[in-house]
Amino acid sequence: MPNLTLTYPLLAALSAVLLPFAGFLLSIALGKKARHGTVAIVAISLSLLAAGYAFAQVWGHDPIHVRWHWFTIGQHAFHVGLLLDNAAVLMLLLVCLIALPVHAYSFAYMKGDPGIHRYWAYLSLFCFAMLGLVVADNLLLMYIFWELVGFASYLLIGFWYTRDAAAHANKKAFIINRVGDIGFLVGIAMVYSSVGTLDVQALFGPQGVFAAPAGADIPAANGKGTVTAGWLTVAGFAFFLGAMAKSAQFPFHVWLPDAMEGPTSVSSLIHAATMVAAGVFLLARVFPLFNEAMLLVIATTGTITAFVAAYFALTQYDIKKILAFSTISQLGFMMSGIGIGMYHIALFHLVTHAFFKCLLFLAAGAIIHEMQHMKEKHGLAIDPQDIRNMGGLRKRMPITFATMLIASLALVGFPLTAGYLSKDALLVHAFEWAALQRGPVSAIPYVLAIVSILTSFYIFRLLAKVFFARPAAILANKGVSAHEAPRQMLVPMVFLAFCSLFPLFTFNPLNDGQVWLLQGIAAELPTLPPLRLLHLLVPILATITTIIVAVVVWRWYIRGHYPLNTTGALYRLSERQGYVNELYGAAIVRPLLKLSALLWWTDRHVVDGIINGIAAAGRALAGITTWIDRHIVDGAVRLVGKLAWGAGNVLRRSQTGRVQQYLALVFFIILLILLYLIFAQA
Amino acid sequence: MNPHLLTILIFLPLAAAMLMMLVPSTKKTVYKYIALITGLLQLLLSGAMYWLFHPKGSGITEERLYQFVDHVPWIRLDMGSLGLLEIDYYVGVDGLSMPFLFLTAFVMVIAIGASWDIQKRVKGYFILLMVLDMAVMGVFSALDFFLFYVFYELMLLPLYFLIGIWGGARREYAAIKFFLYTLFGSVFMLLVIVGLYFSVTNPDTGAHTFNMLYMMNPANYAPDSIFSAFTQRELFGISARLLGFIVLFVAFAIKVPVVPLHTWLPDAHVEAPTPISIILAGILLKIGGYGILRVCFSIFPDAALQSAWWLGLIGVVSIIYGALVALGQRDLKRMIAYSSVSHMGFVMLGIASFTVEGTAGAVFQLISHGFLSAALFFLVGMLYDRVHDRDIYHFRGLASLMPRFTVFVAITFFASLGLPGFSAFIGEAFVIIGAFNAEGLHGLLPRWMAIGGSIGILLSAVYFLWTLQRMFFGQLRVKGGNAWVAALSDASPRETFVMVPMLALTLALGVCPALALDNINASVLALVELVTGVDH
Repeated sequence: MPNLTLTYPLLAALSAVLLPFAGFLLSIALGKKARHGTVAIVAISLSLLAAGYAFAQVWGHDPIHVRWHWFTIGQHAFHVGLLLDNAAVLMLLLVCLIALPVHAYSFAYMKGDPGIHRYWAYLSLFCFAMLGLVVADNLLLMYIFWELVGFASYLLIGFWYTRDAAAHANKKAFIINRVGDIGFLVGIAMVYSSVGTLDVQALFGPQGVFAAPAGADIPAANGKGTVTAGWLTVAGFAFFLGAMAKSAQFPFHVWLPDAMEGPTSVSSLIHAATMVAAGVFLLARVFPLFNEAMLLVIATTGTITAFVAAYFALTQYDIKKILAFSTISQLGFMMSGIGIGMYHIALFHLVTHAFFKCLLFLAAGAIIHEMQHMKEKHGLAIDPQDIRNMGGLRKRMPITFATMLIASLALVGFPLTAGYLSKDALLVHAFEWAALQRGPVSAIPYVLAIVSILTSFYIFRLLAKVFFARPAAILANKGVSAHEAPRQMLVPMVFLAFCSLFPLFTFNPLNDGQVWLLQGIAAELPTLPPLRLLHLLVPILATITTIIVAVVVWRWYIRGHYPLNTTGALYRLSERQGYVNELYGAAIVRPLLKLSALLWWTDRHVVDGIINGIAAAGRALAGITTWIDRHIVDGAVRLVGKLAWGAGNVLRRSQTGRVQQYLALVFFIILLILLYLIFAQA
Repeated sequence: MNPHLLTILIFLPLAAAMLMMLVPSTKKTVYKYIALITGLLQLLLSGAMYWLFHPKGSGITEERLYQFVDHVPWIRLDMGSLGLLEIDYYVGVDGLSMPFLFLTAFVMVIAIGASWDIQKRVKGYFILLMVLDMAVMGVFSALDFFLFYVFYELMLLPLYFLIGIWGGARREYAAIKFFLYTLFGSVFMLLVIVGLYFSVTNPDTGAHTFNMLYMMNPANYAPDSIFSAFTQRELFGISARLLGFIVLFVAFAIKVPVVPLHTWLPDAHVEAPTPISIILAGILLKIGGYGILRVCFSIFPDAALQSAWWLGLIGVVSIIYGALVALGQRDLKRMIAYSSVSHMGFVMLGIASFTVEGTAGAVFQLISHGFLSAALFFLVGMLYDRVHDRDIYHFRGLASLMPRFTVFVAITFFASLGLPGFSAFIGEAFVIIGAFNAEGLHGLLPRWMAIGGSIGILLSAVYFLWTLQRMFFGQLRVKGGNAWVAALSDASPRETFVMVPMLALTLALGVCPALALDNINASVLALVELVTGVDH
């Protein structure tokens, strides 16, 4: 049962959520006086402390739930509340832990930007929304924060609003996320109408409505019918749709590469570490809702996404685009993890990925910052994000190089890194899961293994081009040389580099079985029959292939033995991102605009045509009436008048004034009367 | 003690109008101050009433559950064989009408604020505005059908002149179109009113009556009367009660407006001056929704239930059609007018669900749209005042030039597209939830209608954000060149002063929906129970 009183952990979690919001309000109130960002940084630091306390108090203990009445609609009460379980406090801590270095980094990275006061306010708003999302105790509240996260990301992507590309990108991100929101909302409506509550614990908790084995018929709360397997599939799909858009799953991934128009620090925080992970978090929250069929859909979608995005990443030249596709690909991994029923591993990968991907972006930001600096200083006509213009930065920016190398190794899952633990756990379990499956889905772990190889390739390609290859001619010719990033940027990067290594998660770098994080969440999950050999084989093979890929990349990009034809169809398909954007344009955007124009035409010509037609008919009828009025009615009246006038005119003649004539007339009339009387008698 | 607060609220503007008549027309500035003071007094009064309102006062069919009631005989005429004519001055407030009285007072103040720079025939303008104010207040509180109709028709007259005289280039076309559309609806409404009058008798006096509350009780219908629920008479081959419902529905549906009875709205909006657009969207459209609930559903619940599927369909079509046409507009004001059609479609969908969630969501949406559409039209007016142009493609990058204005627009757009935290979200989300519930609860609406409605939520994001992108982001470039750049000053203190309370209210309602829902709930429950017969 939910509490009504605040205990210290709840108070800590609540303040962790509300502090950034207070920071947001204060930044707005201060306006341009808030340029230095102290407010935002202090807010998120305090948030981190509070989150750390909440984490220490709650992790490994029973969930704490508090809620307050919010409003009543009809007789149905809705609540706001906090649900602190292992997953919630983990995310709470993670978000703060990622957000603080990004704030610190932004301090130097965004220095001198004319709109920086807005930047700090937006960043605080985003942190508030994201933190609220993870501790929300019911689906409606989650949806609210879910949307606010999208809104904050809209503001941050479009931070440089005078750039057309940014203005385009933030609209695209919001609209595609809206598609998912509809799914989420429909899911909420379905759960509400069948079960009558939206409380996460009551629905998905150990004693919750959906705690029974997925797929079984579960009695619905309103006593009318049951929640059938078909219902579960549809509801599960609705929630999954929401997660697909937020977590950039194929084919809704298109907004994420475009979202790179925002400042790199923003990309790092929200489009790598937090917001995009919200979809995975949502699925972990509603996990008991999914039946077998839906889990297969999720696993398949995740795998396709992982593969497609890695494939697109192979040929990109924009450093941020490569990392964006890498993010999508890794999110696909997490989705697959959920699909195979191992949501704790998905959450673990979410955590490790958050650190190393955040770091990758921050390092990329440091490089872009430097390129931009050189571009402005020497008046070069280069794109500061194009990896073809970089090269040889290893010696110029050694710390950036070192941190980025660690992050990249974590990404490919090299031993001793955190990524190794989570990725191998995922792969191993995928193989174990596939052993129980039939049909094409049993190929999923093999595809994921191939994706791992692609991952190694694209990230090593990036490292090679940026740090090892010969400096670009345009820089070398002018004798321009880069410098290391300022310390305010390096400190957060070094911190994240540490977090990307194994010690944060386990004492045993080679065995994921002892990771405290997995042990904390996995308690309630069924386990798959373990295949001992896999636990040995998969890491070894993965490491060997990684080394082979590294050697290949070395030969291709650093030694210059590049064997591929860059005009091939497959290459172009990858470079143009599978033409998905073009497809959307042709299949959805343009037809929609055409439909809109058609309906507008209908409105003016058909609907208004009918109205104007009725009006014209009315006028015509009035015209006819007028004619009848003038010619027939008036004609009759005039005829009477004319007759009277004519009669008068004739009779006028009789009025002569002569007495003889009058007498004669009188005599004549009397004679007529007499004649009449005589003949009438007869 | 009955301090007649409601009657004072209704007729305060009339007193103001009379006062204005006494002021010589040379003193142009006096009128707007009289109007403003009247508006503020009304706001204060309706606010006090809102505060005094008891949330258990569900009203609907029971006179004792109405509040602030004034009930006195108005016209008594012995008509010989036709019996005694009974027309009452009968006004009262329940949870359905209370929010709208406050909304009306609020939007009126905004409209007066937006009329501050009116130069043309000031005296007539403000007098008409006051008459309109009185008529609207009357419509929202009348409980006698004759009185209701009087106020309802009285609304048309000032509006016709306000659009026809103070409007834009095609104002006469728009004014006549508006007038004929609404008149078309109300003329047939009169027939139904007369039919109802002859069907219903006052159980106490035995006389025919216009009392709406008596009309809601099937026991008061004479057994052989045309609208009797028991005999089920037929007219032109369909049930007379259904026909009566349809006629009343069409009259109010024109006001809402629903597709395909909506084309007066864009024209009226485009041609109307800003304050009239604000009133039109902020209040008058609400009369349509209110009328359907108060009159159509309450008096003809059986026919309403029978028509639920069609009502839902109309709602969904309005949502999607309105949104799609809005997407294709170049004229910012016309786009917002069509967005109104789309947003009012949610109201139809919500009330058609005949669930508590859907109906409460619909009433909430009506209130929310009242504030938001007023804000939207006010913002368009700000732009139009400066450069006399509203073409979306004639502006670009305004954010650099008018930052405060852009913030207002962005907030209002996001609030309108249903961002949580603002009122529209609560309204639309519960309409969708209610529509979804309908199939499980009583099977009146199929689920695809709820999903169709949610597509409207997506489309509203598309057209609002696209507009934001086209007009406000990117590099500054306006059609009129430097002259426009000079004219496009940022929001003035007066404009800020008008905008902030509106946005604050939609935010307050979004964060604390209980502010409105607590007063609405009881009435919505009673209404849904009346129509579906299910006791919640």
